[in-house]
Amino acid sequence: MHELMAFWAEWARPTAGSPTVAWSLLLAVAAAVGYLVQRYTGLPKVAGYSIVGAFAGFAGFTGVVWPLQGTGLFLLELGIAVVLFEAGARIPLRWFRHNPMVLVQSLFESAVTFAAVYAVLRWFEIDRSIAEPLAIVAVVASPAVLTRVVMDAHASGPVTERAIVLSTLNTLYALTLGTAMAGVMDAPRTALFEAVYPVATLLGLSFVVAALLALAMRTALRVMSPTSENTSMLLLALIAAGTAVAGLFGASAALAALMAGMLLKQLNPRPWVWPRQLGTAAAMLTMLMFVLVSTVAAQAPWSHAVAGVVLALVATRALAKIAGLTVASFGSGLRLRQALWVGCAMSPMSSVALLLASQFATASPTLGPEITSVALPAILLMEVLGGLIATMALHRAGETSKPWMPDSTNGNGTPLPRGEAA
Amino acid sequence: MTLEAFQRSAALSLGVELELQLVNTHDYDLAPYAEDMLRLMAKYELPGSVVPEMTSSMIEISTGVCQSSVQVLDELTQLRNALVQSADKLNIAVVGGGTHPFQQWHERRIYDKPRFRELSDLYGYLSKQFTIFGQHVHVGCPDADTALLSLHRMSRYIPHFIALSASSPYVQGQDTAFDSARLNSVFAFPLSGRAPFALTWDEFSAYYDKMTRTGVVKSMKDFYWDIRPKPEYGTIEIRVFDTPLTVERAAALSAYVQSLAAWFMQDDPFMPAEDDYLVYTYNRFQACRFGLDAVYVDPATGEHMALREHILMTLQQVGKHAHALGGGAGLQMLRDDVNRDQNDARWLRERQGQERLLAEVIRQAGLKFRGERA
Repeated sequence: MHELMAFWAEWARPTAGSPTVAWSLLLAVAAAVGYLVQRYTGLPKVAGYSIVGAFAGFAGFTGVVWPLQGTGLFLLELGIAVVLFEAGARIPLRWFRHNPMVLVQSLFESAVTFAAVYAVLRWFEIDRSIAEPLAIVAVVASPAVLTRVVMDAHASGPVTERAIVLSTLNTLYALTLGTAMAGVMDAPRTALFEAVYPVATLLGLSFVVAALLALAMRTALRVMSPTSENTSMLLLALIAAGTAVAGLFGASAALAALMAGMLLKQLNPRPWVWPRQLGTAAAMLTMLMFVLVSTVAAQAPWSHAVAGVVLALVATRALAKIAGLTVASFGSGLRLRQALWVGCAMSPMSSVALLLASQFATASPTLGPEITSVALPAILLMEVLGGLIATMALHRAGETSKPWMPDSTNGNGTPLPRGEAA
Repeated sequence: MTLEAFQRSAALSLGVELELQLVNTHDYDLAPYAEDMLRLMAKYELPGSVVPEMTSSMIEISTGVCQSSVQVLDELTQLRNALVQSADKLNIAVVGGGTHPFQQWHERRIYDKPRFRELSDLYGYLSKQFTIFGQHVHVGCPDADTALLSLHRMSRYIPHFIALSASSPYVQGQDTAFDSARLNSVFAFPLSGRAPFALTWDEFSAYYDKMTRTGVVKSMKDFYWDIRPKPEYGTIEIRVFDTPLTVERAAALSAYVQSLAAWFMQDDPFMPAEDDYLVYTYNRFQACRFGLDAVYVDPATGEHMALREHILMTLQQVGKHAHALGGGAGLQMLRDDVNRDQNDARWLRERQGQERLLAEVIRQAGLKFRGERA
């Protein structure tokens, strides 16, 4: 026996180790739960991923450290970059020329959300230096959750399209302001020019990375078919490289990916077939992102004291988004009722919010924990609840071509014709 | 329900309806924007009308009563420009063509209107497969009997209309090898195909009464014939055209119909016969399958000839009527295309051959519809 063990010890080679095993098993469970949740409740798969991550977090899973760093941070940034690149590539700038009210609507909604959340936090007597970052985190709606929900529900139409575009735009604002703010967080308050300088620097550097990324992709797309599997792999690899390079230069990887998507859409107006081609690799990356977000968020120091603040933040954010979008819907091509559903569809708050919270936590050891204590529970709550609300909103807006519950299908997930389903 | 009286209309007046596709500008799949488009279009002062169609990714525009194909083109251009502006505001594109090349029929949603819901309940999946796009041309007839006579004379030219307008070679992502695959979807409906051979309104009314007594039809709308009389407008309606990729081609096709009708009504060139229909389905199939390369069997003589040649011959025959009605330019456009062996189906195939991406073909078709260079 002893000899056998010695032989085995010699034969066994060092591997990726136990964290990899733990993460692999966690992802396997998340994949199964995501499927079952959707199969039996009609909820989006992301709800299942988030629930598994949350359980793991509450159970003390230690596979990730807070504030995020190293591989965990890179994977989150990569997941976000993939989603934002695709979301950015859905935004044709010419649309804003034909319908500038979309931009007005977006700016108004973001400003109202920031102002309302800031005011409520101040009413709770939270210090200005904590209320400001939290209000920025609240501006973000999650294109990641939304695009997954849209995919699961087979949704398309004006509400779906507008929700994705506005989520992407407010992510752009929040990332720019939030990342720049994190950079000067502990510095004394200065003149307007000095406050604008970090924002301009961040945008400029991110734009350079984005331009390089977009040009490389455009060159590839000139000779490669967008439907080829190899093109998908090439794009994914380029985004990964861009994510790593952005960090080195002091740019924001997420911002760079988003701007690269927008630039590519302008440089290469050909139709975008990415989601169908990218397949399982990107889907797994985004699933990992959801599990990671909820695992980390669940590890926040939960207390009754902050529960009220968290609920107030979440409620104010929801009301502000709906009110802001509805008020600014005039002349934007949306009816009031549609604007209301867009507001609801924009309730998820996920990976980008977590990235911002992590940046604040890294930037300021003093303010970080206080920001985190409110931001993380809010993110977790809205990752699960937001997916549910967004799904409901798209169904109520009549933009899904898949029924909510699988009962009304023929067993293959194919909706029955109206007459048979009735 | 008895057949309503055939209304008076100006002989050779024209009306054109175009069913159009609404696609997103992301992956260029069909997008359910009909309701929003109707809302935005209501803000424009336009001739004719804009109405919803069976599924929510379709919209139908129609001209008012026009006297010439020049007026048709003018009205269609105004409607097209307003459509393009509304589409730009919603970030979608409007596209012609008889089918969307890669849409999945089961993803379509029935437009929320009682008649469409009724049809959906009756026809099941066929109603979603009816996400196909056609052009209808109405031509005014002075009286009901002339309308029926013109209808059956016009039947000989159905293959010509199909080949000239064909723009539906792709269905569900595949090249069907047909130039017009759209009409195969129409054939699935029980009351499609040719109209019964009745040359007087009394005979037709008797047929209609018998059909309504069976309970199979309730109104003229239930007939999906290739050409049908439209008593409430005082016209006959030709329904075999695929929606062309441009409004210019749509107007040119209306010029052809008007010139043929003028030839029938003014020159009495031949008498239709029941036996004309012996070769009707074969000719129709040939035109759908091969477009301008089809074989045409002359119903009167049984002679086989190239459809292309027969089209050129009729264009020659109706030339003087076309010039008198102001349709000379339209006919010249069709003649040039036949000589170049070109129709919209061929253009779509050529684009796909070059791009290898049907979504890109749709994007370029959208530019073509706007009047921009693809």
